[in-house]
Amino acid sequence: MSDHLPSGMTESPHAFDTLRDLLVGPERRDLEDLRRQLEEAGLTTEQIAEHLPEAIALRAARDEKLARSLAPTIEGAIQESVRRRPEKIASAIYPIIGPAIRKSIADTMAGIVTAINQAIEHSLSPQGVRWRIEAWRTGLPYAQIVIRHALLYRVEQVLLVHAETGILLAHAAAPDLETTDADLVSSMMTAIRDFARDSFQSREQGGLRTFQVDEFTILVEQGPRAVLAAKVRGQPPDDLLERMQVTLETVHFEFGDPLKQFDGDAAPFAAALPLLEERLETVVATDRREGTRWGPRVAWGLAGLTVLLLAAWFAWSTWRWRTAVDVLAQEPGIVVLDTDRGLRHSRIAGLRDPAAADAGEVLAQAGIDTRRVEFDWEPFVSLDPRMVVARATARLGTPASITLALAGDTLVATGSAPASWVARAMAATIPGVTAIDARGVTPLFPDAIVRLRRQIEDRQIQFAMGSSALPPEADSPVSGIATAFARLEAEAAELGYRATLRIVGRTDSNGATETNQQLSRDRAEAVGRALTTRGVATEAMEAVGVASSRPIVGGDPAEAGRLNRSVSFEVGLAPTTMTRGGLE
Amino acid sequence: MIQKKICMVGVFGTGKTSLVRQFVHSKFSEKYHSTVGVKIDRKPVQLGGTTVNLLLWDIEGRDGTQEIQTSYLRGASGIIYVADGTRVRTFDQVFELRAIADKALGIVPSVCAVNKVDLVDTWQVGDERLAELDPTLWHALTTSAKTGEGVEEAFQWLAGAVIGERPE
Ligand SMILES: Nc1nc2c(ncn2[C@@H]2O[C@H](COP(=O)(O)OP(=O)(O)OP(=O)(O)O)[C@@H](O)[C@H]2O)c(=O)[nH]1
Ligand SMILES: [Mg+2]
Repeated sequence: MSDHLPSGMTESPHAFDTLRDLLVGPERRDLEDLRRQLEEAGLTTEQIAEHLPEAIALRAARDEKLARSLAPTIEGAIQESVRRRPEKIASAIYPIIGPAIRKSIADTMAGIVTAINQAIEHSLSPQGVRWRIEAWRTGLPYAQIVIRHALLYRVEQVLLVHAETGILLAHAAAPDLETTDADLVSSMMTAIRDFARDSFQSREQGGLRTFQVDEFTILVEQGPRAVLAAKVRGQPPDDLLERMQVTLETVHFEFGDPLKQFDGDAAPFAAALPLLEERLETVVATDRREGTRWGPRVAWGLAGLTVLLLAAWFAWSTWRWRTAVDVLAQEPGIVVLDTDRGLRHSRIAGLRDPAAADAGEVLAQAGIDTRRVEFDWEPFVSLDPRMVVARATARLGTPASITLALAGDTLVATGSAPASWVARAMAATIPGVTAIDARGVTPLFPDAIVRLRRQIEDRQIQFAMGSSALPPEADSPVSGIATAFARLEAEAAELGYRATLRIVGRTDSNGATETNQQLSRDRAEAVGRALTTRGVATEAMEAVGVASSRPIVGGDPAEAGRLNRSVSFEVGLAPTTMTRGGLE
Repeated sequence: MIQKKICMVGVFGTGKTSLVRQFVHSKFSEKYHSTVGVKIDRKPVQLGGTTVNLLLWDIEGRDGTQEIQTSYLRGASGIIYVADGTRVRTFDQVFELRAIADKALGIVPSVCAVNKVDLVDTWQVGDERLAELDPTLWHALTTSAKTGEGVEEAFQWLAGAVIGERPE
């Protein structure tokens, strides 16, 4: 190409090279050097070591590529490390991983879990006072009384134990507790756990986590270098182990080096005591006042109860009202036509026989407050037999000695009553009664009538043997009888009675019956005639002869014969009308 | 205060429990109550200006040495191997036990107590046997839990060794 260059420039290719050398020769050589260096890339390890940190920082600042390319290698390395030395990794991340896991769990649980922990010293409830009195009475410490009654649990002792040797590093105990053998307990517990682990061939780090000794529960939280154990009286709560775990992690975190270098000197762990003491606690169940919760509950409960009671009362009173009205409707002489039950006043309307029971009394007996009940009765006459009898009883002024009953429409009276009542009854008109039968009634007569009657009936008129002629000495007795009978008639009439006189003639047992029959009759008639002449009405008298068929008994035959040659008297007293209506 | 875990190792009936009892409580009993599992006692030992609290793990002895529970040895600072001088077999077994313990625990200061030295009539472990014990590996001595001979020395020596007072 240079051959075709214009003259004067024929030597130009060489000249150009020379010129270039002259102008930029040294720089060219530098560039050449640099290129060679780069191409060789023969950086020594030392050089890399010197620049690596900056290089990584530089690259990491620029983009993510470095992290991405390193990730697989690091993952692989960790995996390998975990496979070969798990405890190393575990021990390294133990202080971090625990809190992280727990925090996430705690966040979830926070809303649900509520603790019921109340410091006993602050308990001034009535119960607390009661316990204080008991403490004073028994001479025991108050705390013990509380524990006896209300202990949920009490963490009495907390031990921090060196995991490998079982040697006690630190221990905290409840103030009232005497502990001398914590170091032995610590070793023994470790031995027990070793034994358990061996016996059950457990490979796990934790091993035996809780065990029971008498009334105590020993809770054990195992860490890589130390173990935290708590001696708990009562029922330890679920979250206690979790809280122990926190403590143990803190211990591992704060005492990492002393734990690692432990050679039997527990002095550095004295500083862990406050951490352990945090775990000592006594939790008792005290009666919590849940005012906010109980108030509405009680109110609702009372309201509910009130409604219930009202409903019950209403149902009951309705039932009672119905029952009472039913009873009233059953009552003879009362017909209930309409009832109206109000809250304040009630009304009952219907028909009522004036002789019927008092409606108010009937209701009152059924438990109804009758001051609030208004009656509206239409009077009527009930033909209910009970009513008829009641009406008759009322109307006749019937004495208690008389029983009235209704047979069909005949009122039957039995018993005894003053003769005047019988007479009045016979004359009375009672609705529903067409006939009255008083034959079963023994009338009781006033003394005057009784005396007059006896006066008459005690008398006999003697006759001579075979004669029916009234002897002259009979004059006076006959007159007496006539007078007495007249008075008796008057007295009886006053009571509504009619008096009758039956004159009975007799003979002795001698002689023919036929003759004697005549003779006795004649004797009775003779007396009847004598009485007629003395003013006794013939209609009131009846003369009968019984001869010797109904003798008067007494004495020797001669005396008996004399007694029976006589006439005697029987007084009859009957209401003017003994029966009414169809009865005779 | 320094605390150290010490283990008593030996086959059954060699006098481990008796040695601890003699050392801690200065008591001895002819009765034999074989230990089950492990029994722990403690005794503070004065060493110069310091006190070492020895936690003595008296581990049950077995018949065969293979059965020993090495987990009890974990964390031990020193071991007292006990042989019964009247039963030479128990002395042989000490070497086997030592091998097992070293494997499980590593080498720790050790004492070999050939016990029941008061029973001279039936004694079977002669001086030439005792010489088999390498003095760089263990401190050998004859003891009697009954008379107390050698007991104090055994524990004292080990206490010193475990806190590094004496070169082994
Ligand atoms: N004479 C004598 N008897 C001893 C001595 N030590 C232990 N004994 C007796 O040996 C028996 C066993 O003693 P322990 O101390 O119970 O033995 P151990 O090793 O604890 O046994 P295990 O618990 O079964 O493993 C008991 O009857 C003791 O009285 C000793 O030094 N001299
Ligand atoms: Mg024993």
